[in-house]
Formats: sequence, C-alpha cells, structure tokens
Amino acid sequence: MLTPLERVVFLALAAGCLAYAAVGFRQVFAAIRRGHGGFPTDRWPQRVARTALQVLAHQTLWRTRRPVAIFHAFILFAFTYYFLVNVADLVEGFTGFSTAHRGGLWGIYNLVADVLSVLALVGMTYFLVRRFVFRPRSFRFNPQVMLLPGVEAGIRRDSLVVGGFILFHVGSRWLGQAFKLAAEGPDPWQPLASAVSTLFVGMPEPALEVGVHATWWVALGLILLFLPYFPRSKHIHLFFAPVNLALGLPQPPGRLEADGKGAARLEELPWRRILDAYACIMCNRCQDVCPAHQTGRSLSPAALEINKRYYLNRHLREFSRGAPSPPLWEYAISVDAVWACTTCSACVHICPVGNAPMLDIVEIRRRLLEEGEVPDPNLQDVLVKLGKYGNSFGKPERQRGQWTKGLPFRVKDARRETVDVLWFVGDYASFDPRVQEVTRTVARLLHQAGVDFGILYEGERNSGNDAGRVGEAGLFEVLAEHNIRLLDQATYRVILTTDPHSLNALRNEYQALGRRYPVVHYTEFLLQLLEEGRLKVVQPVGRKVTYHDPCYLARYNRVTEAPRRLLQRVGAELVEMPRNRENTFCCGAGGGRIWMREEPGQERPSESRIREAATLGVDTFVVACPKDYTMYTDAVKTAGYEGRMVVCDVAELVAQAVGVRAEVLAQV
Amino acid sequence: MAEVMVFAERQGDSLAEVTYELLAAGRQLSQALGCELSALLVGPGAGALAGGLGTADVVVCAEDPQLAHFTPDGTLQVLEAAVQQRSPRLVLLPSTSQGLDLAAPLSARTGLPLVAYCRELWAEDGVVVAHSQVYGGKLVVEVAVPERGIVCLLPGSVSAEAGRAPGTPRVEVLSVPGVSARARFRQRFEPEAGDVDITREDILVAVGRGIGDRENLSLVEELAEALGGAVCASRPLVDNGWLPKNRQVGKSGLVVKPKLYLAVGISGAPEHLEGMKDSELIVAVNTDARAPIFDVAHYGVVADLFDFLPALTEAVRQRKG
Amino acid sequence: MDVVVCCKLVPDLVEELEVNEAGTDLDWAAVRWVLNEFDDHALEEALLLKESTGARVTVLVPEADGAEEVLYTALAKGADRAVRLTGLPPGAGSRALAVAFSRVLPSVGYDLILTGVQAVDDVDGQVGGLLAGMLGLPYVGVVTGVQVDWQVHKAVVRKEYAGGVVEELEVDLPAVLGIQSAQKPPRYAPVSKVRQLMREGKAEALPAELPAVPRAAVRRVFRPQTDRRAQILEGPAEQAAAQLVAILEERGLLRR
Repeated sequence: MLTPLERVVFLALAAGCLAYAAVGFRQVFAAIRRGHGGFPTDRWPQRVARTALQVLAHQTLWRTRRPVAIFHAFILFAFTYYFLVNVADLVEGFTGFSTAHRGGLWGIYNLVADVLSVLALVGMTYFLVRRFVFRPRSFRFNPQVMLLPGVEAGIRRDSLVVGGFILFHVGSRWLGQAFKLAAEGPDPWQPLASAVSTLFVGMPEPALEVGVHATWWVALGLILLFLPYFPRSKHIHLFFAPVNLALGLPQPPGRLEADGKGAARLEELPWRRILDAYACIMCNRCQDVCPAHQTGRSLSPAALEINKRYYLNRHLREFSRGAPSPPLWEYAISVDAVWACTTCSACVHICPVGNAPMLDIVEIRRRLLEEGEVPDPNLQDVLVKLGKYGNSFGKPERQRGQWTKGLPFRVKDARRETVDVLWFVGDYASFDPRVQEVTRTVARLLHQAGVDFGILYEGERNSGNDAGRVGEAGLFEVLAEHNIRLLDQATYRVILTTDPHSLNALRNEYQALGRRYPVVHYTEFLLQLLEEGRLKVVQPVGRKVTYHDPCYLARYNRVTEAPRRLLQRVGAELVEMPRNRENTFCCGAGGGRIWMREEPGQERPSESRIREAATLGVDTFVVACPKDYTMYTDAVKTAGYEGRMVVCDVAELVAQAVGVRAEVLAQV
Repeated sequence: MAEVMVFAERQGDSLAEVTYELLAAGRQLSQALGCELSALLVGPGAGALAGGLGTADVVVCAEDPQLAHFTPDGTLQVLEAAVQQRSPRLVLLPSTSQGLDLAAPLSARTGLPLVAYCRELWAEDGVVVAHSQVYGGKLVVEVAVPERGIVCLLPGSVSAEAGRAPGTPRVEVLSVPGVSARARFRQRFEPEAGDVDITREDILVAVGRGIGDRENLSLVEELAEALGGAVCASRPLVDNGWLPKNRQVGKSGLVVKPKLYLAVGISGAPEHLEGMKDSELIVAVNTDARAPIFDVAHYGVVADLFDFLPALTEAVRQRKG
Repeated sequence: MDVVVCCKLVPDLVEELEVNEAGTDLDWAAVRWVLNEFDDHALEEALLLKESTGARVTVLVPEADGAEEVLYTALAKGADRAVRLTGLPPGAGSRALAVAFSRVLPSVGYDLILTGVQAVDDVDGQVGGLLAGMLGLPYVGVVTGVQVDWQVHKAVVRKEYAGGVVEELEVDLPAVLGIQSAQKPPRYAPVSKVRQLMREGKAEALPAELPAVPRAAVRRVFRPQTDRRAQILEGPAEQAAAQLVAILEERGLLRR
C-alpha cells in the first residue's frame, strides 16, 4: 500500500528512532545495574506465568480505585492486542496484505481490534478528563513534601504526551480503518469502524486514499517517535512493571534485607530500588494509603519514587556512566520524611507495579544512623536503653516478668522447664501498665484452658523488629542473637505472642540469622482453644464492635480471618472498618515512631482511625496488638471521644465470654 | 591552733547565702569540739566584708588583687596556704560551683580526706560525723572524720539563721606570696532577664520530663494562667530549649520558695529538690507512686497529668467564677 | 595535642541498690556498671575538640563489668585510643582511681584532661579535682564549653553557676577540666560499628596498682528515712482536682 518513497522514509525513520531509543534504553539499563544485589535465576517459568496472570487479571490494580482499574483494563488489553495490530498494519503497508473483509480467524481478529480500539479511546479520554478536569486530590502532594523543581509540571506534561500518543495512535489507526471501509465498503467484522466510515462514504477516492496513508503514518509513525521518549516517560512501565512484578519482593513484602550497609545515594541502593523508579506509574496510590501523608506530614512514598525518576531523567547520561549523585535527602526525600515512616508497608502492598518505597527509607535510615545522625534525642535514648537493658522502657531485665505477680498461679519458666507453648511476651505487654492488664487476662485464659505455657522471664529481650526498622541493623542482630540463644535452649512446640511486631521478627526477620520459628498469634490460638472446646463460651458478648487489623499481623503476615472468627465465636457483632484487612490504616506507632517525638501534622494517624471508626455507629474499638492498645487508648482521649468510644483488646472480650475475670472490662 | 575553718563564698561585693549556712554549721561544730571558728575571705575588699561574719571568731583575709573575680586556681592556692599556715581541724566548703572547684584539689594537695555532698554534720566525742547523700539520693553514707578533714556541705542543709549572729571577729591577714592564677576570669554572662522572675512568684506550676512533648506545655500554661501563677521547669526541659533558663528550678537554676509549688511530671531528683523543697505548699502530680517528689510534697496525686491537668484547670476556673 | 578523657563506671541507678549485710557498703555483686553520665559528656566535648582542632583523643576506663562496652563505644564515636586500667576493684573509690590515673597519665601523654565534674558515688571527692591536685594542674569544674588554642597553650572555658550565670575563664594548659555538659548532646554510636571494632580488638590495657589513700571512715550506709510522705488525693481526676481546689481555697491561694 505504501509508495516506494514512503517505504524508504519509513525505514529511515525506523532506523533513526530505534537507534536513538536504543541509546536511551541502554543508559537506563546501565543506570539500574549500578545498584547492588544479585539477579534471581530460579523459577522463571513460574514467575512469567504468575505475572502474566497478574497483569491480565489486573490483580494488582484491583485493590483500590476500581473504576480506574476498569478503564485501565480497556487500555491495557487494547495496547497488548495492538502489538499484533501494528505488526499486521506494518505488513499491510509493505505488502498490501489486508485483513479486512475476511471471515474466520481474521474476522475475529478484526472484531477484537475494532472493539478494543474504541474502548482504548474511551479509557484514555476518561483518564485525561479525570486528571485535568476532575483533578482528584490524590495527585496533589502535601506542601512540605520534597519535590524536584518542575516535577508536577513534568507529570502533567508526560500525561498529556502519553494520553495524546494513545489517542492519536489508536484513534488514527481506527480512523484509518474507517477511511478504508469507506472506499471498500463496510466490514461486518468491524462494526464500529464501519459505522464511522459512513461519514466518509461521499468523499472522492483520492481523498480517502490520502486519509488511509495519513492515518497509517500517524499511527505507526507515532510509535516510532515515541520509542525514544520512553526512557523519559512513566509510560516505560509497559516494560518495567511486568519485570518488577516477575522479579517479585522478599516474602513477606516489607521484609528487610539482611545486609546493613545503608544507602545515602541512588547508586548505593539495591538495583531493585532503582528499577522501582522506572516501574513507577506516578499514580500516588501509595501516598493515599500512607499514614504519614494522610495526616499532613512531609512523607510521600510516591514523591520519593517520582523524584528518583526525575533525577534519573535529567542526569541519565552521567549517571549511567558512573557519575556520583547527591544524597537522596537532598532531592528525593527530606530527612524529616525519612523518619516519619511507620514501616506499615501499606505502600508496598498497594503498589500495582511492585514497588517498595519503604525499603528505600529503611536503607536511608541505616546510613543516617551509621553517620550518627539520630533525628531526635528520644530515639537515641531508646536505642541506648535497648542496647543496655534489652527493652525500650529502660527498666532492668529483672522486672520483665513482674507482670505475672498479679496472677493467682505461677507462670512456668520456659528457660528451665519444658513447655508446650512458649509465650514471647514483648516489651509493651511486659512493661506498659495498661497493657500488663491485658497480658494478665491472656494468662488467665490460657490457664483456664489448661494450656501448658511458660515465658522466658528476664531472658527475653525486645525482638528487635522495630530496631531494625529504625535502621539499627547492629542492634537488631544483638537482640536477635540473644533471643535465639535462649529459644534454642528451650523446649517447646510452638511460640505464642500477642505482639505482631515480635511475631514478624520471629517468623520472618530472624531468617536472616538462620532461624524460622513456629509462631502463632494469640487470636489464632484462642480461636483454636474455643474450637477444641478447651474454652467454652458461657455468655456471648452481644455487642457491636469494630476491629482494627494490626499492620504487622494483617499486611505483613496475612492473619486476618482468625481474629474475625474469634470475635464471631464470642458473640460480638463485627462492623467492618472501611479500611480493613490488608488495607488497614496504621496506628502510627511502628518504625520506631512510638519512640520519637511527635511530628507536626494535622492529626495523629491513630486519631484519624478513631474518627473512621466513629462513623460506623459502634462504641467499641477492638485491637489485637499491645502498641495499638496504647495508641488508641490515647487517641480516644485526644480526639475527643472519651465516653463515646472504648478501646478493648480481643482478649478482654474472650475473657468476658468464657467467664474468666478480665483485669479491666471496657465499659462505655 | 586547731580551728574549724569556713570558706566564705562571695557573690561579687556581698556574701553568698550559703556562707551563712556554713557559719551556722561551723559554729555548732567549733563549740562541740572546743575550738575557734574562722572564716576565710578571699579577694579585694575582704576587710570590708568581715563585719558580716559575726558568727566567726576570726576572719582571715587574703586580699590579693588577682582574686577580684573568683578564679578556681588562684583561690585554691590561697586556701592551700591557709590550711598549711593555720592547720585547721576541719575545713568547711560549700557544695556549689565555687566549692566544687576547691574541695577536691585541696584534699589532694593537703592529703586531708574529703567528705562531699554532706547533708548533716555534727561532732560526737571529738569526732566529726557527716551524713552524705549518694547515688542520686537513694542512699546515705555516714562518715567519720576522727582527725583533720574537709567537708563539702550542700546548700539548704542547715538553717542560716545561726550564721547571721552579730559580732566583731578578729581580722587576721593571710599573706600568700606568689599567687599565680592559671585560670583567669574573662567575662560574665547574666541569664537573660526574662519577663518573669520566678523567685518572686507566689504560685508556680513546675513541669518536668513527664510532660512528654513540647506541644503539651500548653496544658501547663493554661493551668498556670487559671491559678494566676507562672510556669517553671526542671533542667531537662530547659536543656531542650522548651523554656528559657530563667525558668529553671534546681541546683544549677534558681531556688524558689513560693506559696504553692505544683510539680507536674517531675520525679524529684535531688538536684531539683534543692531548688524548691522549702516551698510552703508542695503538690506533686506523677504517675509513679514511688517517685521521690512525693517525699517532699505535702499532697500528691497519682494520676496521668493529661487527665489531671485539664480537670484541675476546669475546677479552678469554676471555683474562681 | 592530646586530650585524655578519664572515665569511671558507676552503679546504674535504674537498679535497686542493695546494701551489704554489714550495712557498711553497697552490695557490689548486685551492681550493674554504667558509664558516669558526666564522663559521657566529657568524651563528647573531647570529640568536639578533635573535630575542631584535630586533637587526639584517648579514653581511660578502669576495668569493670561493662568496661569493654564503654571502651569500644568510645572508639566507635571517634576516640583514637581506648585504654583499660586493670587491677582496680569495684568500690575502690574516687581517690584511689584518681591516684591510679595520675600514675598512668604521664606515660599516656596529655595536654588537656577532661573528666565528668562529678559522679553519683564520689563522696570521697570528685576525680577531676583530686587528679588536678595530684598532678599540680589547674582545675576548673562545672564546665559547659571548651575552646582550645593549642599554639598558645590556653583554653577558654565556660563555667556554670547557680541561677543560670555563666562565666568565661582562660585556663593555662595543661589543665584538668570537670565537664558538666558538652556543647552538644553525646553522639550516638551505631551498634554495628561498636561490634565491628570489638572484633578488631583495638582497645589496650594498662595495669594499675591499688594505692593506699587517706579516707574518711565509712561507718554505715543506709536508705534515707522519709519522714514526710505526701497525702495522696484519691479518686479519678475530677475528684482529686476538686479536693485540691478545696485545699487551695482554704489556704487562700485562689484569690483572683
């Protein structure tokens, strides 16, 4: 169909664009390779299969913004299909072979192309209207969020270019079909294009011919011209998102790398974190679920990835050749923001392209700490206490088991005696006076059920989970080594804990030191006791409650149903929080934040969560984590809900239901 | 001749309050031991000040012009000479910034044993006995000084009244040739005269580490306002910069004796207690029932200050109408 | 330009302090040893001097349970040398420690000696002052800031008095300074660095003999009697507040 001149010009254009694009892509690969870390060589067939399924089923997009996911599906399917279409059009241009007016497989091919073309146009129009007319709040960053100059304008420009590209590429190609059908007659297998072709039917033949050629050139020419633009555009996610998803994240997502080197600059990060910048689609989903950003603080995981990307865009040549880059806290994320992170991993969980901004933050923290840059004296004080006394309260180890003194029975010493269940109590459950009452209630429940359990008394140390997340890998090791020494000497079947942070450390983080412990959360264990009849419900709770999923339990460790079944068993009527299960909203204590001074912001994350609960018409807020207990008890007061909302631990409800005395029975 | 020698601490052109306390303690000792009480006065104008030291039997003056401002090294040399020339049975020094610079070096140079942080001091059967507080006030050490020695007395341990007795002591001049001060005064910085002089306030609401974050100070300020008093603080908060230095109560801050001292979130470390224990009415608010502050307080509330302060502010406002 | 920091370990006040059977001393077996917090400030001030003038910092620590931690933390913070003095039993007292320091210091070499102004257990005298007296050096205590001009062998120090008054003094070197607080809070030493240095084993040891020193006789050690104990106002916040308001009104403290 193309004239010889056209063919020559096209080939020349193709050669030029491909060469130019190759340079850009090569630089991108070189840039990513500057980061450290190995390349996984295992299970690639499974990875590819899993990712293909993920992408086609839009699994990662479905977690939030569902209407967007639908329209994106239109575009994604259209674009994937258009790979075939572009090839076919290229062939048609050079050989004249046309797929139109044929039945059978070609007919189906054309029908799908026709429908998808229109869907793509609809989808892309939706996205442009959404961004430029509706202007959702998600696209705005908090005022103190660090942004490279020109980023916001850059994102708008990029969106327009990509949007324009898709509209013109698909639109032009589809119009081209309409022109062709206007000359050749309608094709039953291309109903939509045929319908439009009726508009052109009256036009003279040469005009239609021009139309066909022009649209061909626009469609395929735009592809060529767009190729070198990819390295600068978020549209490169076409390549890097599936790759990122196929490479996967450590399990569970958010688990820290054992290597405690830390990173100040982009090139010091693992190469996976540089790849993240290229997979990022700048959708800001991560920012929407970030407890720091949502309460007005300077942290935006989205801004972090976007800044990295824009830095790379602007310095790609030097960077790909090994030039050093400035410290990340000078352009990508402010030091305040680095420390505002609660390590709740909501950003990691929600990201559709498999990014992990939280891991960048921990790497930066490691480096800041290594250089002695501790953000606030409270934190430094706590780290010193952890090192000296093995707990964040600065209490001597001897006092660790003193919470047991209020009990009418002796709790076995798992250091000396064999036990069935070794209860790893944790700092807050051991030392915080309010939580101690819950701890005693749990002990009474276990005793009532005849469970053979014991604790490590003075031998137990803080699990090290949060020390690691603050960036003190050395302190994590010291604490973990100590706990491991004791656990290795003890005889038990399973470890029980009420603290999701400790659970996460024992089950996941201790693998870095060669141990993987069988740990169960007390909600799972209490449920089991009820199901086995070792505890019996004598008086159902009969109360409407809502339940807050702890981050480290629901997101990191996927335990969401056991607490719910437990609540159901004891006769509580559960009204779900809008953000529940893996979408739970952090209380703000994690990542060492409970040890740091308050950062100025609109409100605390815990207050925001209480307000969320208040909209449900319930007066009982159920928690299953010691830090949640303290955070939300405070938040009820400071948010002004005292007397209207009461915070209650799951154990207290269970105790009430089975007729065991609870230390404190939450009364409104 | 054996004597009890008191180092008279000066504050510019007058005598420091603690000097009278030392004289009172010294008088009692010298009477029990049957010897004279002397006061060592250093620096120009010593002679003129001698009249204020009526409790002493003899005032020893060393008027070296190098010692116009207190210089640790220079004053030490004079003190050492005084001890060597007069061989006092006991040397009494204040446990103050000046005294701390003198006591230990003097002990090393003269070989006389030193007893620091003394709270109580008396003589029995010719032996001087001291009670000193150690380990942050958790324990008391009872020390005997059978022969010669040096005692460093904590300010506020003894009533100064007996030290202000009128009298005309003998004046003796101490000649110390060749004083060469290796530490010399350069300049003095007064604390910024703030808006408020807490030593003159009747009602003080004192805040300590228990307040947690800086933002929470507003709770304290509201209460102080409702009561018509002023806010003051323990050292850690001033060190953090949350309140100016002129609001600091304690050993290295100001000593206050208001009608009401409401200690909020303050544990009661000895250094702080020194600054406020003579307040007329002390009320302490703390979540720890065993905090030492409750030992000096008249009334106590074991509660979370975040609960109690708003409640008290409200109650005060209502009562005042 | 050698700055030597003389440290001591003291009983940790977080623990319950037990008095021995005879009531004459602390029960040393039950003691957890920690670095005297003022010595931590002295170390920080020395490190600040290292940063501003290039001085070399040596840390001396008497041997005790926990001394290793202190030595390697000091190295991790930036000290050049860390020396453990062996042969001193716990509870030897400040004076004995000062003598031990004074005998070792000439071989270590010093232009300026920093130490904490006091410690919770130095009832027999502060180490800094005693040390200065023994070495015949000038001593200034309660110091909150040090600047040094090594060329002219002089230091300018800020000395704190009660009531927030601060005086600046010029001191001839060599001298001993008793640090009250450093110009910046003591820095943090990351645990991994401390562990790394421990593996490298850079700390040294020097023997110290236990000298006989004049000491006032300790007759007994006991817990202070607290004759006055506050009257606790019971009940929830509102109730206690109401009681307190009544007391204040009774005493005429609620006048407008």
